[in-house]
Amino acid sequence: MHAYLTSTGLISPQRTFENDFSCGLQTEGAAILPAIEPDYRGLISPVQLRRMSRILKLGIGAAQLCINNAGGLQPDAIIVGTGLACVNDLEIFLKSIIETGEQSLSSIPFINSLHNTVAAQVARILKIQTYNNTHCHRGASFENALLDALMLLHEKEHKQALVGGIDEFSMHYYNLLPAKVVTGEGAGFFLLSHLPAGKNSVKISAVRTFYAPGEDFIARFLAEQHTPVHQLDAVLLGMNGNPSDDAVYHRLIDNFFPPDTRLITYKHLCGEYHTSSAFALALAAHSIAAGAFPAPAVFKPGKSAKPQKVLLYNHYQNCNHTLMLVTG
Amino acid sequence: MEKTALVEQLKTQIIEALLLEDLTPNDIDPAAPLFVEGLGLDSIDALELILLLEKQYGIRVEDPKERRDALQSVNAMADYILSHKSEG
Repeated sequence: MHAYLTSTGLISPQRTFENDFSCGLQTEGAAILPAIEPDYRGLISPVQLRRMSRILKLGIGAAQLCINNAGGLQPDAIIVGTGLACVNDLEIFLKSIIETGEQSLSSIPFINSLHNTVAAQVARILKIQTYNNTHCHRGASFENALLDALMLLHEKEHKQALVGGIDEFSMHYYNLLPAKVVTGEGAGFFLLSHLPAGKNSVKISAVRTFYAPGEDFIARFLAEQHTPVHQLDAVLLGMNGNPSDDAVYHRLIDNFFPPDTRLITYKHLCGEYHTSSAFALALAAHSIAAGAFPAPAVFKPGKSAKPQKVLLYNHYQNCNHTLMLVTG
Repeated sequence: MEKTALVEQLKTQIIEALLLEDLTPNDIDPAAPLFVEGLGLDSIDALELILLLEKQYGIRVEDPKERRDALQSVNAMADYILSHKSEG
């Protein structure tokens, strides 16, 4: 199963909403990386904007950017992956339940507190009443949404799927984290098609999720894709600065990837969050199209050929491990 | 409270409750309909206005016909509040 990338729309802690993937914004020393948001009035009507919480603006803004970048092409499926979804409005709603003794509750935080609110609102705004699904699987949420899209497109009943990964920063959740890492947020949407949009279409060749996998899962994944590890032009690793999380990546760097492998990292640019791999996919797709990765993302330069075969590996708290193979 | 002062207070409370960030109290015509025309509010806004009456003025509007009349305009809301205050 595979799909072709027609367009992306990304709102992140970098100026990606302007399709600027130079990743030049300095993030060193920051504990929290908030998303840099566009002027939503150019993307969402003021009437609709009025009741939207921040995560809704992030998600719907990114979805609209993606559709605009595709020249207005309409999807026939909307699929979203999210770890915590509209967690801030959920907190407001739960707090008001406690404070008012379940009486006189405002409807707006309730409407904005559901996990599938973003996918539903995107469908309502784009007037798309076909397949609509939201996947919440902690650190593999975005990849599960992608898998859903790949299966839909494989069945050929749908031609275009709009797939998103969204999560917003929550101070409450941040305070509960046992180990503090640079925490971010973002919304990335991708219009996927069963056919290439042009000669240089980036292809999502394979996506796989694992829960607490064994030793050889990357080797087995690459073997299934008939891609020897030395053929990879770059590997994007989800290093987040936490020594115990990063030890997993360092073991692979030392023992699995050839010494000349170009290594790319991205969480110092977008922060850690459940669907940060949506940022990684957008970065990989943009870099394949541009022929190079932005300098701030290069962890180890390795081979210098234009990136064509790129592996994305991420894990969330060493439980949810995910792999994507993206090719030019 | 006099009706004029109450109308001004209601305008501010409506802007806050309905997240009408682009409006100022001066933009709201107290005689204009709140729904469809005028501010163009919808059914979710109606729920929020009923909550506003309950939370800010301690008035529960149970009867649907009474709700419709009370939420016609800002003036109608003010009249409804004043009539209930005088009853109380």
